[in-house]
Amino acid sequence: MNKKDEILKKASSRLVILDGATGTTLQTCGMPGGVCPEIWCLQNPESIKAAHREYLQAGAEVIYTCTFGANRFKLFEYGECNVGGVNRDLALIARQAAGDSFLVAGDIGPTGRFIEPFGDVGFEEAVDAFKEQVRGLLDGGVDLFVIETMVDIQEARAALIAVRELTDVFTMVTMTFEPTGRTLNGTDPLSALITLQAMGADAVGCNCSTGPEEMIPLIRAIAPYAKVPLVAKPNAGLPVLENGKTVFPMSPEEFSGFAGEFMASGVRFLGGCCGTTPAHIRMLREKTAGLALGENAAAISGAVSSARKTVLLRTDGPLLVIGERINPTGKKDLQAELLEGRMSLVKRFAHEQTKSGADLLDVNVGMPGIDETETLKQVVKVLSVSTDLPLCIDSSIPEAIEGALRIYPGRALINSISGEEHKLGRLLEIAARYGAMFVLLPLMGKKLPKTSPERQRIIEDIYAQATGYGFTKDDFVVDALTMAVSAEGGAALETLATTRWCASEFGARTVMGLSNVSFGLPERKWINVSFLAMASASGLTLAIANPMSEEFMHIKRASDVLMNRDPEARAYIAHAAGLSESKAVPGGTSENRAAHGLSPMERIHQAILDGSRGEIAELIDRALTAGISAQKIIDEGMIAAIREVGIRYEKKTYFLPQLIAGAEAMQKGFEHLEPQLKRDNSYPAKKGKIILATVQGDIHDIGKNIVSLMMKNDGFEVIDLGKDVPNEEILRSALVHKPDIIGLSALMTTTMVRMKDVIADVREAGLACPFLAGGAVVTRAYADSIGAHYAKDGVEAVKIAQALIRQEEG
Amino acid sequence: MKLVEFTTKFEKMGIVPVFFHAIRVDMPVRAVFRRLGYHKGRTEISKAQLAEVEAAFQDAVPLIELKGSAVLVSVKEQDEGHIVLATGEFLQSASLARMLYGSSEVLFMGATAGNVIMEEIGRESKQGRLSRAVVLDAVASEMTDKALDWITGHMGRELRRQGKGVTRSRFSAGYGDFALENQKIMYELLQLQNIGVKITDSCILIPEKSVTAIAGVRIGEFKQ
Repeated sequence: MNKKDEILKKASSRLVILDGATGTTLQTCGMPGGVCPEIWCLQNPESIKAAHREYLQAGAEVIYTCTFGANRFKLFEYGECNVGGVNRDLALIARQAAGDSFLVAGDIGPTGRFIEPFGDVGFEEAVDAFKEQVRGLLDGGVDLFVIETMVDIQEARAALIAVRELTDVFTMVTMTFEPTGRTLNGTDPLSALITLQAMGADAVGCNCSTGPEEMIPLIRAIAPYAKVPLVAKPNAGLPVLENGKTVFPMSPEEFSGFAGEFMASGVRFLGGCCGTTPAHIRMLREKTAGLALGENAAAISGAVSSARKTVLLRTDGPLLVIGERINPTGKKDLQAELLEGRMSLVKRFAHEQTKSGADLLDVNVGMPGIDETETLKQVVKVLSVSTDLPLCIDSSIPEAIEGALRIYPGRALINSISGEEHKLGRLLEIAARYGAMFVLLPLMGKKLPKTSPERQRIIEDIYAQATGYGFTKDDFVVDALTMAVSAEGGAALETLATTRWCASEFGARTVMGLSNVSFGLPERKWINVSFLAMASASGLTLAIANPMSEEFMHIKRASDVLMNRDPEARAYIAHAAGLSESKAVPGGTSENRAAHGLSPMERIHQAILDGSRGEIAELIDRALTAGISAQKIIDEGMIAAIREVGIRYEKKTYFLPQLIAGAEAMQKGFEHLEPQLKRDNSYPAKKGKIILATVQGDIHDIGKNIVSLMMKNDGFEVIDLGKDVPNEEILRSALVHKPDIIGLSALMTTTMVRMKDVIADVREAGLACPFLAGGAVVTRAYADSIGAHYAKDGVEAVKIAQALIRQEEG
Repeated sequence: MKLVEFTTKFEKMGIVPVFFHAIRVDMPVRAVFRRLGYHKGRTEISKAQLAEVEAAFQDAVPLIELKGSAVLVSVKEQDEGHIVLATGEFLQSASLARMLYGSSEVLFMGATAGNVIMEEIGRESKQGRLSRAVVLDAVASEMTDKALDWITGHMGRELRRQGKGVTRSRFSAGYGDFALENQKIMYELLQLQNIGVKITDSCILIPEKSVTAIAGVRIGEFKQ
């Protein structure tokens, strides 16, 4: 029996005890702060050897080499370049301590950097760096590897690939989760498990960051999905600061008190991280002796993941949708973008499909003249950070699929693997290496299988070959082949029969590209959605479709209810409730408007209070029809309302979005009334003229824009010069327009000083108009010092402007 | 407005920042509401208005592409009024010196929300949807600040193994007596050009939602 099988056998029958903290233990042994622990250990081999021995004597069966930071990125910081040598020598020290009776785990920690697409370290650079470490540890004779304290799933993947490309020894991977239940980089424990176990990690779990109490729920959450043994190495509680030093407060008794729960939750490897000592491990050993392991139920399987989300491909859950829009076929804009290497449409399509309810995103970049392998890789990198949805890698080129899978920080779905002789073995090998699921396409040879029995035979053949690579029926979904009914009358029936057979007899999940069925027919959407309903009834698991098609999504949700795939119709009802709410929102209509019962003027007033930009024009038309003059609507309805909005804002019963929404409703209403006012010859005279500008060198203008809107609403003529406006331009505009007031805005101390220069220039040119100053860094005192008036916000600016005009008139 | 060319003088000294190309933070909803002037117990908002604001929150998130960088620089000398870095940079500020008291190193951090959200804010403002623009703007500001918390957390974790930690408070150029002009030093130390940030001659970072900060690193101190 090789070492790997030995370890697996141990973990299948009992708990394996791991060691405790190395770093904090070394600090108590005299390692000073600020040194490189690995180099210090090489200089003080007896100290680390003693620490290893203490853990073994305490009952640990596995000790970790002191190589947590022995990668090129960290060692180089201390001027150490012999990465392989450091790892080898530290492994040898551990081996000397462990002898042959105990196991030595080669410890691989994070580099401290983030790997692309999350950071600036290239993926292959990271794999190479970890390989250096792995080679050294292998030379030092380690029995297994542990990749630990990972916050970045991509880094964990790079390390695991590095190990797997050099050796098949037992490898555990543990990530560190914040109290939020995610790693600092946003990965949840289930996505980490799904990704890492599929890639060949022999055990997966959590270490560091939290104490045992916080870690147990994480373990419990992933246990039902674990095909591999679980690992837990918690800290001795959450750290606290005592007399200026970091202390982990949990005593050995308290710490080991959680061991039973860990075991019951499915943990097979248990040890300690920061703050734990040999005493903690001893107590752990004592408390777990004689405790029975929890039952490991058969893992719930069939799942894909991104770095931040897992999608379970449940056959009893709602039909899942793979968004099909990231595909250049028939999309000229996307074709042009991809050829130029731009990604804005890719991101937009991802966002739109996510918002519309897609569960996965299909990614296809195939088109003439493109380097598909490189482009697919780039698109996958962009999508890895811009969407949480898992990806479906859609290509017919094995190299392109491999390139994309290697860089993808999750468990992707390959679309697709058929029985094509020259590709089948190669693609199955790629899928196995990167742990991907795949779409099984029942094509073999040159002839298209027309009937369901023919397709079933091919499915069974391909499946038989896939088992040779370790795949089970949970690792693929069958595409039942959708053909056009316009070409072959019974085509849809054969597809549905194949789907039914997969669901009820063969026991595999299914997927369909639905829209092929309607090819060549008019009004295709009706054929497509009818087919969707039938396929759902036949047990379809996933549909490749455009989730932005409302018809499609409505029928999908309805089918889920009818097929009992949406228990108690919860999702359907929630969606329907959301629909009726969203209809009431954008642009808004006045709510609780005991609208009935209100006079037309009161309704206009209320609409402005509510910021109901969507209905103001209609309400004004009704008031005009009722014989109310435009002048009266403005004076008694709108102006009164916007003043009320201002008062509410000052009283803080309204906040900024309400203030602006009210102002926008007012403006829309005024624009709507303008032609009528002109016809009535009652266009109100402007109260005064104001020039607004954000001074030169400053690009912040949202505050100035708010002032502009408020001023316009109050009847001022506003000449808005924009942002980063040179002094000369303000002066030129002042000379041309002869404003009543000049308003200046600045957000930074370095640009605020330009206000003084502008005022001096304007005064020198002989203009006496008052200045109004505002912006985040501007204070009343500063405004006073440069001879300007000060306004803290838009409401105050309007008041001051009104007062200045009154003064001027008086 | 003139952009300032960056130099590679710190890189030549071996000062190389860590870059984060996809910082993930949850939206600090309360902080965004606070920034927008929401007062709990006082501000009254209708269901429709709240839904509109929250829809803008959700729209903002995918447009915010948080990136960042961080770099540690040793302290060469410090007194009550200034700090001298190992690189020779002189940081004049009594408040900063107070905060960094006892720190062996200084942690410089920078973060940006990227261009896409700023383009959207500009577009919305121009098209007369200022109420939506201010919400997007507030979300971008708060999430960029939160990115600095994220960087502090990451760097703190890295330092903890060496028995060190990051000070709880941090400081930015332009606050108190720490002049905004120091932004140029921070820009170069952090190589912010590598995450798509530019700096103007008036020390303004572009895209607008870009921030820098300084924290101290002390033996034993940590930030949870």
